[in-house]
Amino acid sequence: MTSAAVHLQGVAKRYPHFTLDGIDLVLPHGQILGFIGPNGAGKSTTLRILMGLVHQDEGSVEVLGHSMPAAQATAKREIGFASEDLRLYGAATLAWHMGFVASIYPSWDAGYAEQLLRRFDLKSEQRIKGMSHGQRVKASLLLILARRPRLLVLDEPTTGLDPVARHEVLAELMAVLADESRTVLFSSHNTLDVEQISDQIAFIDRGRIIAAGDKESFLDRWRRLRLAVPSGVELPAVPGAVITPSSPHLAVVTTDRFEPALAAAYSDAGATVQAVEPMTLEEIFVTNVQWRRA
Amino acid sequence: MNYTMVRRLIGKDWYFNRAALGAYVGVGIASLLMLALGGETAFFAGSVLLITALIAVGIHLVMVTVVYERTNQTLAFVMTLPIDAREYTTAKVVANLAIFGLAWTTLFVGTAAVIAGRGAIPDGLIPYSATILGEIFAAYCLILAVAIVSESTNWTIGAIVLGNLMVQAVMFIVGNVPAVAADLKTNVVVWREPIVAVLGIELAVAVLAIASTFYLQSRKTDFV
Repeated sequence: MTSAAVHLQGVAKRYPHFTLDGIDLVLPHGQILGFIGPNGAGKSTTLRILMGLVHQDEGSVEVLGHSMPAAQATAKREIGFASEDLRLYGAATLAWHMGFVASIYPSWDAGYAEQLLRRFDLKSEQRIKGMSHGQRVKASLLLILARRPRLLVLDEPTTGLDPVARHEVLAELMAVLADESRTVLFSSHNTLDVEQISDQIAFIDRGRIIAAGDKESFLDRWRRLRLAVPSGVELPAVPGAVITPSSPHLAVVTTDRFEPALAAAYSDAGATVQAVEPMTLEEIFVTNVQWRRA
Repeated sequence: MNYTMVRRLIGKDWYFNRAALGAYVGVGIASLLMLALGGETAFFAGSVLLITALIAVGIHLVMVTVVYERTNQTLAFVMTLPIDAREYTTAKVVANLAIFGLAWTTLFVGTAAVIAGRGAIPDGLIPYSATILGEIFAAYCLILAVAIVSESTNWTIGAIVLGNLMVQAVMFIVGNVPAVAADLKTNVVVWREPIVAVLGIELAVAVLAIASTFYLQSRKTDFV
């Protein structure tokens, strides 16, 4: 048994036109992992494997100490899963869904559910089919949050939401995350959302995890240097730094291993360091994907 | 096996289908009244209506509880609950057999009672009716199995077509066995060998379909 909330090791799943391969992922208890990847990268497949909904061809999956998919029924008692392609029963009201979920999970917190109804501006007597997309997403979140799961697995929960609904959902997630015993795995292709709430980041592309680590070190390590390069000056090749000429006498260096010595090395070579800029998570993600695909 | 969860899922399917079940059984009872009270035309129309009501309730149940659950993406909601594939399959099979069985048993007993109770209808029709209603039950099990295993609208429609063709085939083949055809006009209930053989085949198809469902579901690796 591992002490991590989520531990995937060497996980592979093969489909005729897509392969998820060599997925290693560790998420300690109480941490929030932002799982970022373009559409079709394998985020949803990974999360479904983690939930036991899709069985891996190879590798081991352990969630909250339960081996998946064998122990999925037990594990899912403590996991709240929301996905953009998960729907509630359109003909039933939210109140029926709340009663149904409450009858299954002894941990259901009716008081908290009432709070969430007000906070999300939902009406429990409304049928699901009469709700907007944003209301449906919030209803799904209410159903999983009110049972207070130890692990939240959220697959693109903010996709398709208007800015107000997105803000409400993210604010509630932030509130939930104040409980440090709660672990969250949050997939998105919206890096802004992930940047706001995550402690850990993992990038996935074409079925492989291409980078993973804690968010602050990602943001600290990645820098963009803008250099003036006089004629005849040759920039030194530095591991982890990619030089992109932007004009005859200007160059942009992107690095995932920034330290002040790097700027000094370019200065010593005769270039002028005009700026050392931090990069957003989105820029880091896009650059990472481009490097791997190159 | 988490029986509590299985019961909850059966209760869910009952909740969503009880009104439709009531409507179909109501149509079935109306058809029995036509058999019980009407003349020759009403007898023919009532028979067709009874068979149609039973076939329709079966199709309705399978489409709503299995196929639409997949196409409407509520299956993902169900599969995130604390259940595994075996419990899901058990809940689906039991819920469907229980709800359909309620309608089927009601209309089967009603049909036998109407035939036995009305002097103008030969009692010899009871074994023949049993083979037809038995075929509807077997076809239902087959359609249910195909729907659960394939989760496909197209495959399910194919099974529905096959099931209904088999109903027509049983009506024609059994009704044209000379000895059985002769019994249809008498007031004696005779369970002749061809009738028993057909009932046996129908039972075997039903059992095989349900057993195959559990076997094939146990080998499935993707549930959403």
